[in-house]
Amino acid sequence: MGLMDVRAIVAGYGAADEILKGASLAVAPGEMVAVIGPNGAGKSTLLKAIAGLLRLKSGAILLDGMAIEALGARDRARRGLAFVPQEANIFPTMSVRENLEMGGFLERRATAARIDHLFARFPVLAEKRRHAARTLSGGQRQVLAMAMALMVQPRLLLLDEPSAGLSPKAAEALFDNIAAIHAEGTAIVMVEQNAREALAIADVGVVLVDGRTARVGPAREMMDDAEVRRLFLGG
Amino acid sequence: MTDLLQLLINGLLAGTLLAVPAIGFTTIYAVLRFPNFAVASLATIGAYGGYVANVRFGLPLPASLLAAFVTAGVAGVASDEIALRRLRLSGPLTLAIASVALTIVLENCVRFGFGNDLRGYDLPVLRDWRVAGLRIGPQQVENAGAALVAMAALFLFLAFTRTGKMMRAVADNPMLASLKGIDAVTVARIAVFTGMGLAGYGGMLIGLDTSVDPLTGFRVMLSVFAAAVVGGLGSIPGAVAGAFVVGVGEELSLLVLDPAYRTAVGFVAILAVLSFRPRGLLGERAF
Repeated sequence: MGLMDVRAIVAGYGAADEILKGASLAVAPGEMVAVIGPNGAGKSTLLKAIAGLLRLKSGAILLDGMAIEALGARDRARRGLAFVPQEANIFPTMSVRENLEMGGFLERRATAARIDHLFARFPVLAEKRRHAARTLSGGQRQVLAMAMALMVQPRLLLLDEPSAGLSPKAAEALFDNIAAIHAEGTAIVMVEQNAREALAIADVGVVLVDGRTARVGPAREMMDDAEVRRLFLGG
Repeated sequence: MTDLLQLLINGLLAGTLLAVPAIGFTTIYAVLRFPNFAVASLATIGAYGGYVANVRFGLPLPASLLAAFVTAGVAGVASDEIALRRLRLSGPLTLAIASVALTIVLENCVRFGFGNDLRGYDLPVLRDWRVAGLRIGPQQVENAGAALVAMAALFLFLAFTRTGKMMRAVADNPMLASLKGIDAVTVARIAVFTGMGLAGYGGMLIGLDTSVDPLTGFRVMLSVFAAAVVGGLGSIPGAVAGAFVVGVGEELSLLVLDPAYRTAVGFVAILAVLSFRPRGLLGERAF
């Protein structure tokens, strides 16, 4: 049985608004899925709908075979979903350490040990542990946002454009971190404009066009596909 | 020169008293994002809560201040649940207007229960201290000390407790706080209890400095609002800084203005500070 099954969901930001028009997605345990597509295809909206920030108009979201679409974001977080938004993904006036504490809010007993573990894993966060998160660089913020999500040892990590606004070097380091998290067995759904790098570390590629799933396939094959290369990988 | 120093000292002491309800006001704003003017009547309710504890039950001042905090906190949460909570989705303007209506209702409830008479706490009569031509009341210094204790307690609460950090997280980024599993409704209740409790504590301090009547809170509301805005709405250190600016400004204005115009000083301070720093003195620093 798959970890998550998103079935033909329809959702938008207003009563008459439909950004997602029947998007589907399946994630197996420990699998990494890269969602690519043109601007406005609904990639970020798809993650928000999975995370519980948007109500569905129709369709279903199953986690371990159980429907979760009626649950709010908080209850979905309790069931192991961790969403890292593209922007506003940290608590800017709180220190790096406090951000991690809030990241582990749902599992307070393990908080201190996990913070130590994450500080060992991301030394840049350890160095800045007492600094306000707003003082971090863009790349450091994304690392902090991911580390916050890892505090609860999520079953499924949802990453929304993690490399947006980063320098090529910072983006490369970030993708290395994401690949390492995936290698440890965490399932990931990542929405990325940087399609080449996303497909390079993913198991499965999903192409979203105009709110619908246009293609699904192994990420490596998708990288070699002439049409995908032409449309999303720059030839 | 002595007059100026005297006014400066008076202003600093007044600023410490204003700071307590101002940090209460700004705490609620930081979490719920609307100016809750019911702080005025809850300051009055706190002052009466402390009065009952002190005069009717004979409790000492520290215990009476605690009673003021708890009375206003509980009344604040109850009135918020009854009158304001269901309006949360209607936007900050609706909530602000509703809070003005709520404060009038609560003020009249107090009037109904206690009448309009001025009341005083059971305090020993102490001679003012005189130092180099300056007069300082021991009670004023004690009040300022109690205000500093409240500010320090809030700081420690927000810095070191899990609940305090939850409040700061919601104030910083409510959507992310929700994604991390923090319950916004619980945090809102804690913020209202803390903010209104501080308003009540501050209301009693103001009552100790003057007297208690149904308008105790309302009379200082404009100054409290001005302090919070000058400091940067939602910023706790800002509210303290703003309270000192307004407190000292109001006292110094007496050098050139009739006391009747004193409350205008707060608005001049708002105009002057926001013209140069639109987010207030410390608007970027929530904590």
